Amino acid sequence: MEAMISERLKKVILRELDLDDFDIEDTTTADMVPGWDSLNHARVIAAVEEEFGIRFRTLELIALRNVGGLQELIDKQNRGSR
Amino acid sequence: MPFNSLQYFLFLPAVLLVFHFTRDRWRWAVLLLASLGFYAALGDPYLLAALAAVTMTAYVLGIRIGGTRYHRRKTALLWIGIAINFLVLISMKFIHSMTGTGHPSPSGIGRLDLSPAGGTILAIGVSYYTLQAISYLVDIYLGTGKAEHHPGRFALYLSVFPKILQGPIERGRDLIPQLRSPYVFDYAEARVGVLRIAGGLFKKMVIADRLAQYVNPVFDNVHAYSGVVFIVVTYLYALQIYYDFSGYTDIALGSARLFGIRLTENFRNPYTATSIADFWRRWHISFSRWILDYIFRPLQMRFRHGGTAGTAVALILTFLASGLWHGVGWGFVVWGSLHGLFLACSVYYKPHQRSIYRKLGVTIGWKSTLWQRFVTFHLVCLAWISFRADSIADAGYILTHLFAGTGKIGRLLTSHERLEMWVCVLSLGIMAFLYHLGKRRDKWEYLFSKPAVVRWVFYYATALYILVFGKYFSPQTFIYGKF
Repeated sequence: MEAMISERLKKVILRELDLDDFDIEDTTTADMVPGWDSLNHARVIAAVEEEFGIRFRTLELIALRNVGGLQELIDKQNRGSR
Repeated sequence: MPFNSLQYFLFLPAVLLVFHFTRDRWRWAVLLLASLGFYAALGDPYLLAALAAVTMTAYVLGIRIGGTRYHRRKTALLWIGIAINFLVLISMKFIHSMTGTGHPSPSGIGRLDLSPAGGTILAIGVSYYTLQAISYLVDIYLGTGKAEHHPGRFALYLSVFPKILQGPIERGRDLIPQLRSPYVFDYAEARVGVLRIAGGLFKKMVIADRLAQYVNPVFDNVHAYSGVVFIVVTYLYALQIYYDFSGYTDIALGSARLFGIRLTENFRNPYTATSIADFWRRWHISFSRWILDYIFRPLQMRFRHGGTAGTAVALILTFLASGLWHGVGWGFVVWGSLHGLFLACSVYYKPHQRSIYRKLGVTIGWKSTLWQRFVTFHLVCLAWISFRADSIADAGYILTHLFAGTGKIGRLLTSHERLEMWVCVLSLGIMAFLYHLGKRRDKWEYLFSKPAVVRWVFYYATALYILVFGKYFSPQTFIYGKF
């Protein structure tokens, strides 16, 4: 099932990358988004964790391929905490 | 056998002929036997043992990791695989000693000297296929790659001769599918392959080995020199190592192309880089991607709550590892650490670069790009000094005497016949011309669009140039073959 990218996630990403607007979808990968390089990547992830009050496992993060995968990780954490 | 040897140019067409006339389902066997023979020709049983150990364990572990759903078991198997490859790598690096042409490794840390009587052991190839095996296992573990069940094809993935000696380090998903697809002779591909090999020979035998003539005497005996001569030989060494390694890469990629295999590009005009980060996207690309994916990313993720400092530490550790991979010696450690330090600094600097430029009134344009390239090239050269010097003491001497006068520069330039210098200048000029040609178009298409007469004059001229000006009688071993 494809994860729908939440507005909240989009906002965090845009804020961290200092972007006003960018079309972020399931299949968006880091290299598609201006400024989302390997150096900013960790910051974006840390910001997402802080925003949603969760903690990912390093291994899960390394296997991430696109924003859809990130949304799935968030959803999994949220489902787990209910 | 090294790429710049006569045996290779008897070996290559012979294998190609047998390969071509073999039935497609057995072609992998021809290539595998040829590759094992190629590696065995180095005359060192330890190397074959290392290759066998890496191949067998990675093959079995790859299938096991891919075949189990239990996370703990998967993880344990992965760590076993990484440990085995690591052990093979470390042990082969420690039981080697070096004699002969090319600079000896910088002062070693606890190097055991177990060279067999009258011979030398070099850990050729091990550094490359162990990394390749590790990437194969990790990719299966992460689900981004699939295990190869055909043992012959898997063995070929690790050992195929164009890349076994010095890489490129190939990912499973890039190379294994190519080994599965049927081979169809393509004249255009073969033509590019042959030309690429010629280009590599030009770079290695005409340029790199010739530059070595000027570089080696100075680095081998630093106390006899002082001043600007150090700056000049550092520039020359920067060129030498680039043409040496990219020359090897051209021969490797060209040879592979003859068999219908496309290997990864390893270089992209590295000295035009506008930052150290950019440099590493252009130099030894397959290796820098490896350390990025398998060392930096995991570390950076681990340290993600440390902010910028976390990323900086991850970079320093990654490039320290890179230095050690090249060799267990202080020179390599310093080289790697310098690059790590440069990158760590850039992490702090980059977010402020725009505003700094604005405050200084600098506009982004060709001048600022030229400045960035100038600075980057010099940072890289600075690091090359400790990489090339015979010891840290020598590197220190060079650094403290860089501006101590202009003595000996004349001696350096006239240390060989005038012709040597002119051939250097001409050859580098040709390379510069080709670089500019390649900026706006595809060089091959440009060449192939010319009439046959022009093309063949070019082919004959190239062959003649290499034959006349190639260094045959004091051939240098490939620099990156020692890592």
